[in-house]
Amino acid sequence: MGDEGAGSAVHLLCLAASSGVPLFCRSSGGAPSRQQLPFSVIGSLNGVHMFGQNLDVQLTSARTEDTIVVWKSFHDSVTLIALSSEEGASELRLERMLHMVFGAMVLIVGLEELANIRNVERLKKELRASYCLIDSFLGNSELIGDLTQCVDCAIPPEGSFMQETLSGFSEATGTAFVSLLVSGRVVAATEGWWRLGMPEAVLLPWLVGSLPPQAARDYPVYLPHGSPKVPHRLLTLTLLPGLELCLLCGPSPPLSQLDPQLLERWWQPLLEPLRACLPLGPRALPEGFPLHSDILGLLLLHLELRRCLFTVEPSRDKEPSPEQRRRLLRNFYTLVATTYFSAEPGPAEKEEDTVPPAQSPRACYLVLGPGVGWQLVALRLGLRLLLLMLSPQSPTHGLRSLATHTLQALTPLL
Amino acid sequence: MSDPAWRDSRGRPAELPGDLSSQEEEEDGDSDAGASGLDSCSSAGSDTDLEPEWRDSVQRNGELFYLELSEDEEECLLPETQTVNHVRFSEKEVIIEEDGTRERKKYEPKLKRFTKILKSKKLLPKRHHKKSSSDNGPVSILKHQSNQKTGVTVQQRYKDVTVYINPKKLTVIKAREQLKLLEVLVGIIHQTKWSWRRSGKQADGERLVVHGLSPGGSAMKSGQVLVGDVLVAVNDVDVTSENIERVLSCIPGPMQVKLTFENAYAVKKEMAQPKKKKTQSSTNDLVKLLCGSEADGIQHSILDTPHITMYLTLRFQSEVSKEEQEILYHYPVSEASQKLKSVRGIFLTLCDMLESVTGTQVTSSSLHLNGKQIHVAFLKESDKLLLIGLPAEEVPLPQLRNMIEDTAQTLKFMYGSLDSAFCQVENTPHLDHFFSLFFQRALQPDKLHLSASPSAQQYDAASAVLLDSLPGVRWLPLPQELKSEDYYDMRRLYTILGSSLFYKGYLVCSHLPKDDIVEIAAYCRQYCLLPLAAKQRIGQLIIWREVFPRHHLQPPVDSDTEVFQEPEGRYFLLIVGLRHYMLCVLLEAGGCTSKATGNPGPDCIYVDQVRTTLHQLEGVDSRIEEGLASSPGPCLSCADWFLAASHEKADSLTTSPILSRLQGSTKTATSPTCRRTFFSDHPFKARKPSPSRGSGDYEPGEGGEGIGPSPHTTPAAVRKQRESCGSEDSMALLKLARKKSTLPNPFHLGNSKKELSDKELEVYNTMKLTSGPENTLFHYVALETVQGIFITPTHEEVAQLGGSVHAQLIKNFHQCCLSIRAIFQQTLKEEKKKVLHGEDHSESADSVSSLTHVKEHGVLFECSPENWTDQKKAPPVMAYWVVGRLFLHPKPQELYVCFHDSVTEIAVEMAFKLFFGLTL
Repeated sequence: MGDEGAGSAVHLLCLAASSGVPLFCRSSGGAPSRQQLPFSVIGSLNGVHMFGQNLDVQLTSARTEDTIVVWKSFHDSVTLIALSSEEGASELRLERMLHMVFGAMVLIVGLEELANIRNVERLKKELRASYCLIDSFLGNSELIGDLTQCVDCAIPPEGSFMQETLSGFSEATGTAFVSLLVSGRVVAATEGWWRLGMPEAVLLPWLVGSLPPQAARDYPVYLPHGSPKVPHRLLTLTLLPGLELCLLCGPSPPLSQLDPQLLERWWQPLLEPLRACLPLGPRALPEGFPLHSDILGLLLLHLELRRCLFTVEPSRDKEPSPEQRRRLLRNFYTLVATTYFSAEPGPAEKEEDTVPPAQSPRACYLVLGPGVGWQLVALRLGLRLLLLMLSPQSPTHGLRSLATHTLQALTPLL
Repeated sequence: MSDPAWRDSRGRPAELPGDLSSQEEEEDGDSDAGASGLDSCSSAGSDTDLEPEWRDSVQRNGELFYLELSEDEEECLLPETQTVNHVRFSEKEVIIEEDGTRERKKYEPKLKRFTKILKSKKLLPKRHHKKSSSDNGPVSILKHQSNQKTGVTVQQRYKDVTVYINPKKLTVIKAREQLKLLEVLVGIIHQTKWSWRRSGKQADGERLVVHGLSPGGSAMKSGQVLVGDVLVAVNDVDVTSENIERVLSCIPGPMQVKLTFENAYAVKKEMAQPKKKKTQSSTNDLVKLLCGSEADGIQHSILDTPHITMYLTLRFQSEVSKEEQEILYHYPVSEASQKLKSVRGIFLTLCDMLESVTGTQVTSSSLHLNGKQIHVAFLKESDKLLLIGLPAEEVPLPQLRNMIEDTAQTLKFMYGSLDSAFCQVENTPHLDHFFSLFFQRALQPDKLHLSASPSAQQYDAASAVLLDSLPGVRWLPLPQELKSEDYYDMRRLYTILGSSLFYKGYLVCSHLPKDDIVEIAAYCRQYCLLPLAAKQRIGQLIIWREVFPRHHLQPPVDSDTEVFQEPEGRYFLLIVGLRHYMLCVLLEAGGCTSKATGNPGPDCIYVDQVRTTLHQLEGVDSRIEEGLASSPGPCLSCADWFLAASHEKADSLTTSPILSRLQGSTKTATSPTCRRTFFSDHPFKARKPSPSRGSGDYEPGEGGEGIGPSPHTTPAAVRKQRESCGSEDSMALLKLARKKSTLPNPFHLGNSKKELSDKELEVYNTMKLTSGPENTLFHYVALETVQGIFITPTHEEVAQLGGSVHAQLIKNFHQCCLSIRAIFQQTLKEEKKKVLHGEDHSESADSVSSLTHVKEHGVLFECSPENWTDQKKAPPVMAYWVVGRLFLHPKPQELYVCFHDSVTEIAVEMAFKLFFGLTL
């Protein structure tokens, strides 16, 4: 297909491992002709994987010059296959995506259904509800939590005030899990919410962000890590357009209890700070936060808390477009995570426990090639990892000090 | 061949193995030495009527791989094997271990050769018949030898003792008195009359009872020959007192000879437990690997690691119902690999399906097998598929990709195409050997890179990861030079396309186009020839084979630039190794020379001429050695110094070791000149034009040019010049070199190098790569793709900078460079695509946002000393950068440097400094 294949397409296939029946196929990008893989291809992709499994050989990935295919089977009942021809596609990205996708499937239909597929047709129907969430992983999201496996956060201007109100509200409603979301990013959350396990901590905000806007929802969810078999209720209340209050709770309180009066009592005093939160969606950092003018994009991760800040908003007017910046940073993160800071995922291991390798990477930078000259720098300090994208005029030898200063400035925030 | 001819060759030390030892004689101050230089040349000339030793090793298809260690190497191998033997033979029964057989096998060619000589002289009686008829009692060890297996016990009635015999000794002693060869050569004293009287047997065919051992003789040294033993055979030739002298006189040169003794007192005892795993010398291993005889044995340890190579066909002929017909070749046959073989269906399917889906070829795949991740690299050619699978922890994926491409390239170089390599049955053993070496290098790199010091070994192993994948040769920039090898007149059969000279695995100079040198280097690398030459003195290495250089066989893509069309012809590679030197010559048949037909073997004339050249270079090796010790490259620092200094927190300390190092290096910088004068006093006998090489060896046009010094004498002339002008006057030298380079001699490309190397000498003292007052450079690798060379610090330089942290740093540096290079390769690929598709592609938003246009990549590492015991204080931390820089214009160059964090460096500047003057 080569040239007219028109760049990038991502295909996601889900098959029942035992029967080989496709549960769903999702695609994004690419020319319409490539939208859907022919069934013969789906069949043989599944076939090779299954054949290997019979011989105790786990086929995990295959690469052509421009495409990566990753196989992953879950609980011996569901096989997920991702095929990506995006530039800069990597195994790490696809593997993490598959984990997210399976998490999303569990979130919607529960593990029980997936682990023992009794009725394929019914499962297919149920899985339809997860499509919009799954599609958001395939497309180009503004968030990066799917890749970093960290919760996307935004820093509100008056954080402490908001935090107090949230705690009070959570006590009043009797739910420990409450958070305030701006377009998929967590602005503030209770202790309980932050303690949510990994994939749901990322999935719930994504889910809220991917659902069509509604004033209030009562949505049953399974928690892939916390309670994969018993559903919980996810209550969402739109305080302002784009700003949603989320509660994760058991049978009580009913949605009706969260009447406008209650909301008004708690949140009316905070109306101004909440308004100020609205533009935080893409920017993540409060207005006026001092950033060096050379910085075009920023990704800050806290590896233990598993939260991240991701923005490509600084100096919007400059080249390249936010979309390109996002991709560059995503690709750079993938490179850095695979090559240099690979021990990074895994919140269990602490720096003190494991003997640090005698020669460990601390920072790295890239200068992009002829003509463009953008620079990318990654710096790891303790539990924080900072990735910056910088404009070409920034001197290469000053990258590290710039990154160090920025990281120091950002440290109190995350 | 007549008797006198043999006697002649034996009597004169100039026989091929003999002249290797000529240098030793020189060292000994032997009076013979004066003639040896001349002698070697003349003997080379006369070799055409004498049959060279390697003649027997030439295979049916004309290929030759002949390797012989120099005498001192062989002798130092000897004691080890003997101790092994000794332990075994002191017991009653024998366990023939692998090492024993291996040892024997190693010398097999020689034994065979010797046996052949004996046969030709009708001296080989029907020993085997005799044995089988008369010996129906205990199993003969000789008979057993044909199928030795580990752990098989035989009764110890006969024992084989391998001794080293050097008939040259004879010539020295012979003058004094006529001694018996048995005593002189072997060191066994046998008194005929005495034994006759005692045993009362008839004189002819008398048994050779060992009555005594002469002190210092080979037999005594071996420690296995006991008084009372009976010598029954030499190299399986039955001997008695009657024919022993004749048999021994047939030994043409220094070699291992197998003596078979009958035990005097055959007593039965308990079998001893098998000797513990052998502690063979490293060099031994390498040689054995090379010879291909025992690769499997050594490889045994890596058999548990799943690894495989397969050549599969995607086309099925249904009419042929052969089992596993889709497998054209696979290696190795082991249990772990069996699994990978069994899932070949996956690879075939993937290869076919993914190509049809994505439109591009499958490059690799990963799978989990027994909890191990295995990467499998694919290389598809028409409807055939080459696969190499290796564990991910040993070989990261980018490296594996490079390896499979390297392999395919070498195989094509050797056989023309993958098909002709894999589809011909007679190639299978060669390929098995090839791949056993390949996997050996991949899985146990440190085993192959054994050298005297462990630090150098580590350096080798660490750097192999990166350097093996570079499309280039490690080049040693020499401050001053020795020239040109390809000035002999060879118009009869082959045209010499060019040659390249390696010293200890470093390319010293080359007259080959880049593609050729890269391919030849890849060939040498695959066969571990470079480490071989580095680690030990090669007695004689001759490799001859037809090759298929891509560069010559492919029609030039851009025909407008190339007016010259490559003639259609066949190409042959001749590699001759001598001591640490290796000279690779690429020959062309056809074109303006006669067409080659059939499978021509190596022609003595070419071999000899190349060897002569090497002999001439003999005197220069001290200079190269010196260059190795203090190459004109930038000075290095040791990481441990920085760590120690920061620990002491004394700034003065930080500088002092470095400064002292700097001083040290400047000292070495100035010392070459002094040494040079010293060396010029050294008589360069080998340098004298030998009569056999006559004027026909020079280019005819050149003889008329009075001004142009013949290339042959160039080094000497320069040296003389140096002597007269004094070492300070480098300007004059520069002029001299300039003048020379303007000579219109197409064969003297090398002169330009001299000019540059002189320049380099000038800038040498200012050659500090890093800025700031201290030298903060730890390591560097610079790749020059146009000429296919790269430079790194030499082993000697690295060895000077011992230190645990530094060793780790170097290892880490190479690992890191590998990943940096993987990114650069993407960039290069992208760039190539862009060129192919024109500029329209570059505007695509995708390529801008992906990381496929990287020109510089740096990683900062922190390290602290390993065993930090002080609990109160935190260990000192030293930070260093590993920076890779890619240059696309004007020509692709890659630079990797490693330097301390204290000074901010600009990679471009460093690159400029390093690449300046880096021209072959």
